[in-house]
Formats: sequence, C-alpha cells, structure tokens
Amino acid sequence: MINASALFGSLLANVEVSSYLPILLLLTIAIGFAVTNLLASQLLGPKRKGNVKQSTYESGMNPVGTARKRFNVRFYLIAMVFLVFDIEIIFLYPWAVTFPSLDHEVSNSGIWLGRIVFFILTTVVAYVYGYRKGVFKFD
Amino acid sequence: MIEKIFTLWPEITLFVFTCVVMILGLSRSLSVRRLCAPLSAAALAIAGVLALTTTPDAKGALPHLPLFVKVLTCAVGLVLLLQLAGTADRGYETRVARGEAFDPLRSTRAEFYAFFLFSLTGLMLCGNASDLIWLFLALELTSLPTYVMVAISADRNSAKEAAVKYFFLGALGAATFLYGFALIYGGTGTTDLQGIHAALSQQMATGGINSIAMAGLVLSVIGIAFKIAAVPMHFYTPDVYQGSSSGVASMLAFVPKTAGFVALILVLATVGWVSTSPATHGQLPEPLHSLLWIMAALTMTVGNVLAVMQNSIKRMLGYSSVAHSGYMLVALLAGPGPEGASLTRNGLSAVLFYLIVYAVANLGCFAVLGCLEKTSSDGKSEEIDHIDDIRGLISTRPLLAWVMAVCSLSLLGLPPLLGFMGKLPIFSTGLAAGEIVLVVILGLNSAIAAYYYIRIAKNAILEQSPVRPAGEEIRDAAVPARQFAGIIAGLGTVVLAIIPISSLAIDGGTFRHSRSGVTNSPAQTLPAPVGSAEPATADAPTGPVADATVPPTIAR
Repeated sequence: MINASALFGSLLANVEVSSYLPILLLLTIAIGFAVTNLLASQLLGPKRKGNVKQSTYESGMNPVGTARKRFNVRFYLIAMVFLVFDIEIIFLYPWAVTFPSLDHEVSNSGIWLGRIVFFILTTVVAYVYGYRKGVFKFD
Repeated sequence: MIEKIFTLWPEITLFVFTCVVMILGLSRSLSVRRLCAPLSAAALAIAGVLALTTTPDAKGALPHLPLFVKVLTCAVGLVLLLQLAGTADRGYETRVARGEAFDPLRSTRAEFYAFFLFSLTGLMLCGNASDLIWLFLALELTSLPTYVMVAISADRNSAKEAAVKYFFLGALGAATFLYGFALIYGGTGTTDLQGIHAALSQQMATGGINSIAMAGLVLSVIGIAFKIAAVPMHFYTPDVYQGSSSGVASMLAFVPKTAGFVALILVLATVGWVSTSPATHGQLPEPLHSLLWIMAALTMTVGNVLAVMQNSIKRMLGYSSVAHSGYMLVALLAGPGPEGASLTRNGLSAVLFYLIVYAVANLGCFAVLGCLEKTSSDGKSEEIDHIDDIRGLISTRPLLAWVMAVCSLSLLGLPPLLGFMGKLPIFSTGLAAGEIVLVVILGLNSAIAAYYYIRIAKNAILEQSPVRPAGEEIRDAAVPARQFAGIIAGLGTVVLAIIPISSLAIDGGTFRHSRSGVTNSPAQTLPAPVGSAEPATADAPTGPVADATVPPTIAR
C-alpha cells in the first residue's frame, strides 16, 4: 500500500516552491483586476437600465438568433493581414529565444541576424501590398 | 543547414524580384505597371545565370538534380512568360485606358506575375530539397500560386469553377502526401532524406521495411500523383485545363508536373532502387513497385482513351497530360539502371529529359490556342478551344498551323521530332528493367494517342477552311508575344531534336549508388559533362555554354 502522505511529501521536497511565486503573483493580479473592475463599475458607474443594456454581451453581435449571417467581405481581408503578423510572431519568438544563446565567437551571427531582417522585410512587402490594395480603407 | 543558404542565390534573386513585381504592379502609372513582365524576364535570366555559376548543394543520391531543375525552370519559364503575356488584366486595362480610374483592388497584374515567379521559385526549391519538410514547403509554394492564377487567368465563370476544383483537390493531395511524410518520419525517426535512406537501407537489410514507413511511402506517392496528374488523382485535369486560359494551362502542365516528378524521384531515392539482394537489384520494394506499375498502366490508358473522346482541344491536351505522366512513370519505375548508365538505360534521366520534351511541345500547342480568338455565345471574345476552330488554319495562318501540327506530332512521338527522342529512352529503359508487359501497354497507348494527335494535325494543315458565318470568325489575339512563344516551341521540337541536349538530363539523373545505405564519396559519381545548349530555349541557341563542366560536388 502506498503511503500517500509520504509520496506527497517527497514530491513537495523536490519542488522549489518559491519558483512558483511569479505564477501566484500573476494569478492574484488577474483575479484582483477582475474583481476591482466589477466593484468599481458597481460603485462608480451610472445605473441606467434598458433591454439592450441588460442583454448578454456577445462582442457586438446579437446573442439570440441565427448564427448564419453574412459578414462584410472586408473581414476576410483583415483576417489575411492579421495572418501576416501572426506568421511574423511565430518566427520571431523562437528566433529571439535562440539568438542570445548563440555562441557569437563561433557561429555566424551576422547571417542569423540577416535572415530575420530579410524575413521581416518580406512581411513589410506584404504590408505595403495590402496597403496599396486598400485593405486598410474603411469607408 | 546554414551553409545551404549559399546554394540558394537563384531562388533568393527570384524571390526579391517577385516582391518588387508585386508592388510595382499596383502602381498608378501605366508605364510602371508595364514593367512587371520585363522585370520577371530579367529575374528569370539572372536566376538562370546564377544557377549555372553557383555550386549546387550536392548532397544526397542525386547530386546534379538541383542544377538541372534550376536551369530548366529558368529556360522554360522565359518561354512561358512570353506565352502568359496579356493574360492578366487585359480587359481591365482597356477600361482604364478608356478613362476609368485605376483601382488597385480590381487589377490582377501584380499578383499574376508575382505568383508566376513564386511558383517557379517553389519548383527550383524542390530540386534542392534535402529534407521532407523542405520538400513539402517547396511543393506547396509551387502549387498554391497556381490555384490563384487559374482563377484570375480568364474573366469567365468556368475559370473560377476550375480554380475551386483545383484548390480543393490540391488540398486533398497535399494532405495525403503530408500524412505520408509524417508516417515516413514515424517509421524512420528522421525527416532528412539521407537519414531516411540510411534508416530504410538498414531496415531492408534486417528483414524488410517497417510497415509504417512503407505506408508513408505509398501515401506520399499517391499524394504527389496529384501534382503530376496520375490516375487516382487525375480528375481535375480536363476541367482545370479547359477553364483556365491557355498560357496558364501550359504552365500547369509544366510547373507542378516537374515539381511532382522531382519530388517522386527524391522520395523514391530514399528507398533507393538499390536492394541488398542481387536478384532484385535495381527494383523498388514490392508494394511500391506494384503501386507504380498499376498507376503507370492506368494513367496511360485512362488518359489516352478519354482524350480520344474529346472535341475540345484543351480537354484533349489535359487528358494527354495525364497520359504523358503515365509514360514518365514507366521510366521512373525502371529506375536509374546500372552505374554510369546512358540515357537509354537510366530511367531517371529519361524522365527528366521527357519533362523538357513534353514542356516544349505542349507549350507550342497551347500557344497556338492563345493566339486565336472567337466570339463566345455571350458576346465576349474568348480563346478558341473546339477542334473545328483550327480546321483549315493552314489557309489563313500557315505559321500557326505548322506550329500546331509539329507540336502535336511531337507529343505523339513522330520520329524526326523531339517527342521521338524523348519517348525512345522511355521504351528502352522500360525494356532494360524487364518491364515487358508495361512496355507493351505503352506501345498500345502510343497507338491510341496517334488518333487524337493526328486529328489535331490533320485539322490544322490538311483540311479546307470552312465558311464560317458572320460573328463566328476566328480572329488574331492582339498579343504578338504568344505567337513568338509558339514559334519558339515549334522550332524547339525540331531543333532540339538535333542538338544533343539529352546529356544535360543524363547529368541530372545521375544516381549515386550505395548498397550499404551510407552515401558513397562523390568521386564515384559519373563525371558527365553538362550538355551543350540550354534546354528548351531554341530562341537563344547560344552555342556551348563555354564548356561548362560539372561544378565540383561538395564532399561532406
């Protein structure tokens, strides 16, 4: 039979509890932020009620009704421009994590830097292209 | 990996030019917009020169393949560019010239040329691939732009329909071979092609290939079959070829097909065509051999039989594209043959050479279709397509009629022409590999193919021009570059048959044999000289390229 408390104790013994302190801090801030906001709007906000104001908030959409609605085709363009930046971030993060740990004496760090600059320039090209196509025009 | 970047100058050049073209094509000024085509041509020319001068990455079983693919891409790309002239934006530019304000959102010129160059960049990267992930990305870079190009190539609904069909079936194909690649990785533990070769050789030596890896190989072959339009994945071909304009259709017959065959060669080279037992030496493992055998036989037969029934020339050429993939699969099945084999024994060289042969002749046929227009039922002018439209072409436009006839007969493989030079090695490699039944099927199929190719040639040069009622006359499309492309291709089928360009293909198909799974030293590869003239550019018979010898392979 396994002694549960002994197992738990040995697990705890191997863990630096203090290394989880930042996570605890973050959790506290997150919960505190939400609670503070709710309390502040309760105390400070004007209280006017109405049908629309009391309905569920659904990112500006009507919460009740059919979900098969037509979207403005512009949203697709915006989604595609978003993809450009999304891809950029996907590659920038691993690069940024790896770059400082490169041995700059041995490896050719200029090429590593050049590659990411080249890559960012290509996303700039995509951005200029989108701008010329009028993706950012809302009229 | 980091040193590999220095072997990629042609691709990088092409990519940088692509970015420039993409921005300049959206300019408000017409003269700047017109720079797209010349800039693309300059990019291809520079990339071609760079490809000849930079040392390709010579790892793997096929050390000379990258050089071959890059030079071929640039040479054929230049002729394709001529043929694509005036495809994008012709209608919109006329409206702008009449005074409509230029709106970048409505223009498609920038995308068209940029995607064309992107696709060719992908094809060049395919030849360079040394890793499954690289190969997958290169194949997708080749294919994704072509979906859009089909959609914007013609201002009619059939083009959009073609693009949607092509896109969804393309996604299916890509998913299939990506799954295959994943299983290969699962079965061998690496994505590096050389590593896979080593792992599979070890598995073959110790009781057969892992079933996961074998399933991966089979799925990869079936998925890549989409790119080459081979039988289980050929259904899109006629609709897409008919829906897109002729320039894009001939590009579809060259770019994804070449990428597909290069990918097939690279993937199959990991199994090696080299087994440990002398009895089966030179053959692929049994499941792959059977798969390719059945695919080749079905692809040839289905393509040719269905092509016979068509009255639309584009559909006919679409099914003929299926059939030609079947022919090339026969040579692929035969494999590289004994070490130091010539074109008549080396199946891989035969495939690579046939890709040139097919590209040139096919380009000519499509160029003629692109040169001529008629009024469609809804009052728009569109390219000719029906077999009756070229009837009696000889009496009105003799040059185009001869181009059509020579190119279709070259596709058939009539002896003095380039097509014969390409088909002969396919027969001989098939026979050398002992695939007698398959070669008999190949012969029968050539006989079936004769019906529709001769029908095209007969309609073009032997028939009388019928009296066409008013409103149904055949007109010239006002794009002289397309006629030029047609003439180059027509001359190519004749001239290239005389110039021994096949030596270049031998070089590309030179296979580095290894029995143990460990790659041999580069000294064992055949030091074949690079061929005298550039392939497929009969327009510039610049003579021998200064006796360019094989760049020294990098020993690692």
